[in-house]
Parts: sequence; structure tokens; C-alpha cells
Amino acid sequence: MTPLVQIRNLDVIFDTDRGPVRALRDVSFDVPRGKIVGVVGESGSGKSTVIWSIARLLSANGRIVGGKILFDGRNLCDLGEAALRDFRGRQASIVFQDPMTSQIPVKSYRQQIIDILYRNREQSRSQKIGHALAMMRRVGIPDSEQRIDQFPHQFSGGMRQRMGIAMALLMKPQLLMADEPTTALDVTMEAQIIHLLRSLQAEMHTTIILVSHNLGLVAELCDEVVVMYAGEVVERGPIGAVYARPAHPYTQALINSDPARVTERRRYLPTIPGDLPDVRFKQAGCIFAGRCPKAFDRCRHEEPAAHVLEEGHDARCHLLDPRQVASSSVTAASRQEGWVPVDPGSNVAATEPLVRVRDLRVSFPGRGGLASLLPGAQPAKIDVLVDVNLDLRAGETLGLVGESGSGKTTLGRCILGLIPASSGSITLRGRELTRLSEREFRPLRENMAMMFQDPVGSLSPRQSVRSLIVEPLDVHRPKGFDRDAVALKLADMVNLPRELLSRYPHQLSGGQARRVGVARALALEPDLIIADEPTAGLDVSIQGEVLNLMRDLQIAHNLTYLIISHNLPVVRHISGRLAIMYLGRIVEQGDCEAIFRRPAHPYTEALINGIPQPDPEHRRTLASIEGEVPSVAFRPRGCEFHARCRYAQARCREEPPEETVLSDGRTIRCHFPLTG
Amino acid sequence: MFHYLLKRIGLSVVIVLCALLALFLLLHLIPGDPATIALGPRATPEAIARYAAKMHLDEPILLQFQIYLFNALSGDLGVDVFSERSVTRIVLEALPSTLILAAVGLLWAALIGVPLGCISAVRPNSWFDRLTGVISVATIAIPSFLVSIWSLLVFAVILKWLPVIGAGEPGDLADQAYHLVLPAFAVGLSWVGYLARMVRASMLEVMNETYIRAAHAFGLEPRTVVFRYALKVAILPTITLIGIGFGGLLSSALFAEIIFTRPGVGKLIYDMVMNRNFPVVQGAVLITTGVYVLINLGADLVVAWLDPRVRDSL
Repeated sequence: MTPLVQIRNLDVIFDTDRGPVRALRDVSFDVPRGKIVGVVGESGSGKSTVIWSIARLLSANGRIVGGKILFDGRNLCDLGEAALRDFRGRQASIVFQDPMTSQIPVKSYRQQIIDILYRNREQSRSQKIGHALAMMRRVGIPDSEQRIDQFPHQFSGGMRQRMGIAMALLMKPQLLMADEPTTALDVTMEAQIIHLLRSLQAEMHTTIILVSHNLGLVAELCDEVVVMYAGEVVERGPIGAVYARPAHPYTQALINSDPARVTERRRYLPTIPGDLPDVRFKQAGCIFAGRCPKAFDRCRHEEPAAHVLEEGHDARCHLLDPRQVASSSVTAASRQEGWVPVDPGSNVAATEPLVRVRDLRVSFPGRGGLASLLPGAQPAKIDVLVDVNLDLRAGETLGLVGESGSGKTTLGRCILGLIPASSGSITLRGRELTRLSEREFRPLRENMAMMFQDPVGSLSPRQSVRSLIVEPLDVHRPKGFDRDAVALKLADMVNLPRELLSRYPHQLSGGQARRVGVARALALEPDLIIADEPTAGLDVSIQGEVLNLMRDLQIAHNLTYLIISHNLPVVRHISGRLAIMYLGRIVEQGDCEAIFRRPAHPYTEALINGIPQPDPEHRRTLASIEGEVPSVAFRPRGCEFHARCRYAQARCREEPPEETVLSDGRTIRCHFPLTG
Repeated sequence: MFHYLLKRIGLSVVIVLCALLALFLLLHLIPGDPATIALGPRATPEAIARYAAKMHLDEPILLQFQIYLFNALSGDLGVDVFSERSVTRIVLEALPSTLILAAVGLLWAALIGVPLGCISAVRPNSWFDRLTGVISVATIAIPSFLVSIWSLLVFAVILKWLPVIGAGEPGDLADQAYHLVLPAFAVGLSWVGYLARMVRASMLEVMNETYIRAAHAFGLEPRTVVFRYALKVAILPTITLIGIGFGGLLSSALFAEIIFTRPGVGKLIYDMVMNRNFPVVQGAVLITTGVYVLINLGADLVVAWLDPRVRDSL
């Protein structure tokens, strides 16, 4: 049986203001029928371009300049507009990365579905709707008869993505292409979607191409994997073989730098130094040579051919050439595998904590006025944080974990005084913060800094890097400092190349912008840094650099970190202690290692089990947690987690659990701790 | 939604009250005694005193405002100084003609401008787009009274295709439509440009959204994607703009009425200013303000009706 999709020597060019960018070069791979093929790579690898080339929906400045894409033996590059339209949706469909932006906000799902099914002329309207309802039930949307009349914004992120999958499958396409289908979702939702895709594939025998940067996700879901780098396929093969015996140095580096594989806290995360090559120009030799730790002379002059390692597994690397003399003993590879000299936070004695949060509550006003008198209206105030107790000791790293809506960012901002506390207390070195006026608070902010979530978006686009870095000093100590000297010192501190100081944020890569964010946070030499999703949006290889840098700076300056993140592997890697939030409460808090080894709260257990492991041999069979996060406006009775808890009992539905301290010092809010 | 409606209607009432107050104060700022103005320079002191008593001009100013306010709210905007007819009735009789002129002007402009903007956005930087751009800027730049005068000269006086003045025979719809062509053309012309530019800009933005790509990926017809998907989102800011720009539309309608000698609020205000018949001017301005406020409220409600996100956030 021929493969469903055969891509042969595909070349794609994007015309930009700075010249043509050769986004895909000589890309060839097959997608066998009824299989799931993962396309993996970092940003700039061209993995999404592959999908858009197959759908023939490249953006207006992109064009296919060579090669062919055979679908069922038919070359898609030769199809005209009408034939393409017939192909799209009917034979191949797409699940998009962000269901928030990929579904039209002004049309109800009923209208969108009728639009998609316009080609089924033989079906009546009610048959179409019946068909759609069956599909909605299949993807797990409850009350589908009512919900079909709703609009995308009335669905939660997870439900919206289920709807995206349902709409893509409506015409029963042979090929489903999923572009980062879970990147915009929480961990527990991600696990549910993976599980759904796998069961749908088994049931409908759809062929799937999954594009992802997440190695764990690919390992969980795919049968075969294609590894891409800078627009080229560097390695492809069956998932088990590639993960067990990665042949290309890039694949090896990518797998090694996944924080889910480096669980020891004191080890530096492996990284891939260097930047993507500029693909506007033809590269001599191997595309990865510039960043490859094993590169030798031949790599820089001669393009490597694909060398077959075993049935269906090949890689493009000179090292695999049987004629290649092993001239390059692996020398540089172990350079990064260092260990942190001291374990930060290990020497924190039982001193007075730097920050102490007690019974903190933050409420936002609900819909006030007349509307609150109407039946079914939201309560007049919505509690976003409830009874939060937290100690941050000087020099430690506390990871604050939770799904979106858990209140973790609110807590960070509340400590900084950016959001007023409704009741409770926050002290910094014993000084009460909650009742301070803005004028009294301001000098205290010198001791605290925030790293914002969006590294580029949190920088003013009209300021140069130099003025961005010294801006905190301009605000707090406007006189008597040498701007250039300070900027140079800070840039060196965060390993930011000095020539970048005169650039503007949009000219920086994600990792560089993040470094600017770190430099800004460090400018006033604070004691406490609150980092909101410090690695969100960064590639795996860059993620390691940022985390390693933060680790080094912590040791050098005795910093205290509060790391807010939904990315458990990252938090595990950097944190000494962990606090897990659910609906504005801290449900478990304690030593990071102990919690990962043996979670006490069922929610923690579910989160930890929800991490996709980059190991195709150990796939999970069940989604770790069902259901969705309830709204903070309508809190469930009793323990707020009971509806999603596997272990819930009658008592959990009635009585909210108090905060209790376990024998190993963790605090937990659960009637039946798993360790007890 | 209910809450939002209440709030918006309350706000509208406040705006109308402010207009009332401004008009009232304006009258008191005008030098001279209203009674003298009303009765003319040769009025006897007795007549003036009688008139002042009748119009409550001898009461304290606050009481005067109160009387004015309550009269206005109960629909009594006073009487025509000359004919003694109710101002409310006079203005409301003139209003439909003006509203029809404005609506027809806007309608033809929308029928041309919106598709022009759409097609320009689908083919950006094509010759069509460039030509539309030039025409749009040109129509925006020409003041509407110039368009009125020139179209009157060209089509009515020189070519004699269309009537010069008047609104047509009452009761004869065809004749009325015939008389409406030139004024509506003059009123709407600059809106062709406005709408084409506005729709093009917001269409260009929307066409880059992922959901448009998704619609293509589901194999929808390009026409469906452009007009039923992209335009449905892109038209929302345009509707708000029409609401805000309606004031400008009314003022071009006033010019057109004066130039084409059509009956309407514009003609009424012009004639009454010339005759120094201030109660009518005041009433006409007040009612026009009310219409403007209502149209804006309507535009916002239409947006809320079309955009479920707005509807739910109200």
C-alpha cells in the first residue's frame, strides 16, 4: 500500500523585505495510511510550513518552488483553485494551535457547522445538525444540543479545542493535520486532548500529521517522527527507534535538553548554544554545523546525505557515513553537563522568612449595580485568592503551580502590591505591606522585581535595549549613575551580547528578549524576583539557557525566586519548594522533590501524571484527570476539587478541608491525603 | 444586557438634558431681551410686559429653566413666534424628509463603498485597490456643499437630466424619488470614500486572522469566506463609525436642503434663523440632538446584536 502522503524534495520560499527566505529545503518524507506522524522542531524549523504546503494555504508571500506533494498518488502542487477547495476540508483538514483565534467569534457553532457541510447537498439541514451533534458527543462535549447554539467565546479552552477537532473531522477527511493542538491548553486539558486524538484515530483510521515542539507529546501520540531543523529534515524514523537511538546530533540535543528528562535539581540543563542559521543564504555543508558540538571539517563544506540506520530510520549526518573515519572523537559534548556548585536554597535556615503571606484573600467586584439583583447573576464579589498562606525564605526558589485561572499570577502581583489585598497580611522582612499607600510602597519595590510572562510584549517597542535595562534605575534612583556603565554591567551579567544594547525589542530573538527581562529585574539588585512563566514561548534549547542563567544569578546574588508556571518539568527543575494552587487556594505546599516523588493531594498527583514523558515506551493509557476547572464565580461546595477527584467521598462533597500539616512538613488541603 | 440598556438610555437622557441646558443658557447669553426680539423694535412697553408675563420671562432664571425643562419633556417646545403653531409639530413635520435624505445618502454610499473596500482588501495593492484609494481620498476631501452645487450645475442646469429644486409632488413617490437623486448623491458621496477606506482597513486586519485561514482550510468558497466570514467581523467598527459620523451626515443633509431648496430640518433652521424665529430654531436643534443620540445608541445596539462577545460582556 502506498503511503497516503509522499513529500518529495519540497522547496518553499517566503519573499520578505529582506530577501527571499528559503523556509523549506529538500524536504522529503512519507505519511503512511492510518498512522500518526509527528513533525518535531523548534521555531524556525519550518514544521508548520509543511502543513500549510500540503493544504496549499501558504501565506501570500510564500510559494512552492520545487518538489512535489503526492496525496493518494495525485500531485497537490498541480491542482487548480477549484480542485484544491474540494481537497481541503473533504480530504484533508486541520486542527489549529489556538482555538481562541481559529474559530470565528461572531458565528455560533451551528452556523459554522452548516457552513462546513455546504458540500453535502444530499443532506438536509436537520441531517447535517444530527451528524454534527453525533460528532460533538464523540469528542466529549456534554449537552451538545444546547451548546451547538453557543459561540466560541462561551466555551472553555479545552472544549473549544474539542470543537475544533469535531469540525475538522465533520467531512471524514483521510488526513488530519494538527498544528500544535495542545500548546494553548493547560496540562490536564492537554492530556485529555491527546487521549481523544488517539482514540479517534484508532476508531476512524484517520491518518494524522502532528506538528509539535513538545517531544513528550509526540512520544505519547505518534508512530513515526520527522525531526526538522531550519527548514530541513535531519532525521526520521519510527518513534521508538528515534527516541531510543537518536542518530543526529540535533535530535540528541533536543531530547537531552527536555527538562522532563533532567529531574536532578543540581544539574544544569543541557542547551544548544548558538542561533538558527540565516536561511536567506545558501549554507555550505550541514545546516546544523554551526551549533553542532560534534561538527568537524567536512560538516562545514559538504552537505550530508541521508544515511539509513535501520528499516525506515535515517538521518543526515556525516558521522553516520560508514566511510567516515572516526576523526572526531566526541570532545565538546559534555561541556554543558555540569553541576551547579551549590544547591541554592539548601542553606536556608529557619530564619525569619523574606516574605510571609497569611490568610490572604483577594476579591474582585462582580457585575455590580442592577444586574446583580437579577436572578442567576454572578455574586457581587468574586474571590480570586482564598486563605493563602505562604512563606518565602531568603535565597530559596518557590515554584507556584496551577492551571489557568488558579490565581497564581494574581498572588504574584498581590505580593508586589499591584493588586490590593482584600484581607489578610503580606509582610516583607516583617514589614506589613497590605496597608501601605502607593507612596510608601514605592521604595520597597526596589527589593522586588517582576519578570513578565511575554518577554517581547512586556518591553516597550520604542525604547532601545539600553534604556530598557536602565529604566528601573531611572525610576527609583534617577540621579548619580553612569547609564552606559550600568547597562554594560547588566548586559554582561545576563550574557547579553553588548552590541544588542542599541537594538529595539522587535529585533531580538525570544531568548534575547527574555535576557533583557532578566536584566531589568536585576537592575536594582532586588532580593526577590517574581517570574511569571519565565520560559513560556521559548524553545527547549533556549529554555535551558534561561533557567541555567537564573540559577547562576541566584547563587551569585543570593536571590529569592517565586516562579509562577504551569510547566511542571521546568518548575521541578528549578524549585526547592512547591506550592500547588487550585481555584485560588494553595492545596499542597512543601519540598519539591518530596512532592514529585509522592504527591499527597489528588490534584497534585493528577498534574504530575499529566506531564507527557519523552519516552514512547511508557505511554499513559488514561487521561489523568477528567472535567474542567470550575469558575471562581460559582465555587463548588465542600472540597472544590471533589468533582474531578478520583478519590472523592461523601465527606468531600460537604465539608471543605482545612489546611493541615503532614509529618514531613508539607501543608495540604485534603480530607484523605494520598500519603496518609 | 438589560443593565447595559438601562445605562445607555440613562446616558442618552443626560446628553439630551445637557443640550437642553446649553440651548437655554445660549438664549440668555444672546444680547437683548427676548420679548423685544420677539415683538420687534416698535413694540409698546405694555405689549412687552404682557409678552414677558405670558412667557414667564419675569420669573427667576432657575424657575424659567424648570418651566422650560418640564415643557420640553412633555413635548411642548413652545410656539412659532409668527404663526403660533406648535414648534414640536413643525419640526416633526420637517424631520422625515431630512431623515430619508440622510438614510438614502448613506445607503447608496454603503452599497458602493463597502464592496469597494472588500475587493480592495482581498487584492491589496492591485490597480483596483490603488484606484479605489485615490477615488476614496478625493471624495472624502471634497466638501459636500461643493458636491451639491456642482452636481446641481452639471446634472440639473447643464444636462437637464434631473430636477433643480424641490422635493417632488406630495403623494407621487416616483417624482419624489426623482427629486431625491441629486441631494442623496451629494450627501452620500464622501461616505463612499469613508466606508471604502474603513472597510478596507478592518478587512485587511481580519483577513489575516487565523479563523479566516481556518475557513479556507475547511474548503469554504472564497466568496463565503470574504463576505460571510471576514466582512461580518470587519463591519463592526464601521457601524460604530457610522453612528458617530451621523452628525456629519445630518449637517451635509442640511446643506443639501438649502442648496436644493428641499423641505426639511435644515431648510427649516435656515429659514427660521433668517426670520429670527428662535423658538423654532431651538426646538429643531434639540430634536436633531435627540435623533443623533438615538442613532448612536442604535449603532451600539446593532454591534451588540451582531457580535456575541459584546452582547455577553454587557
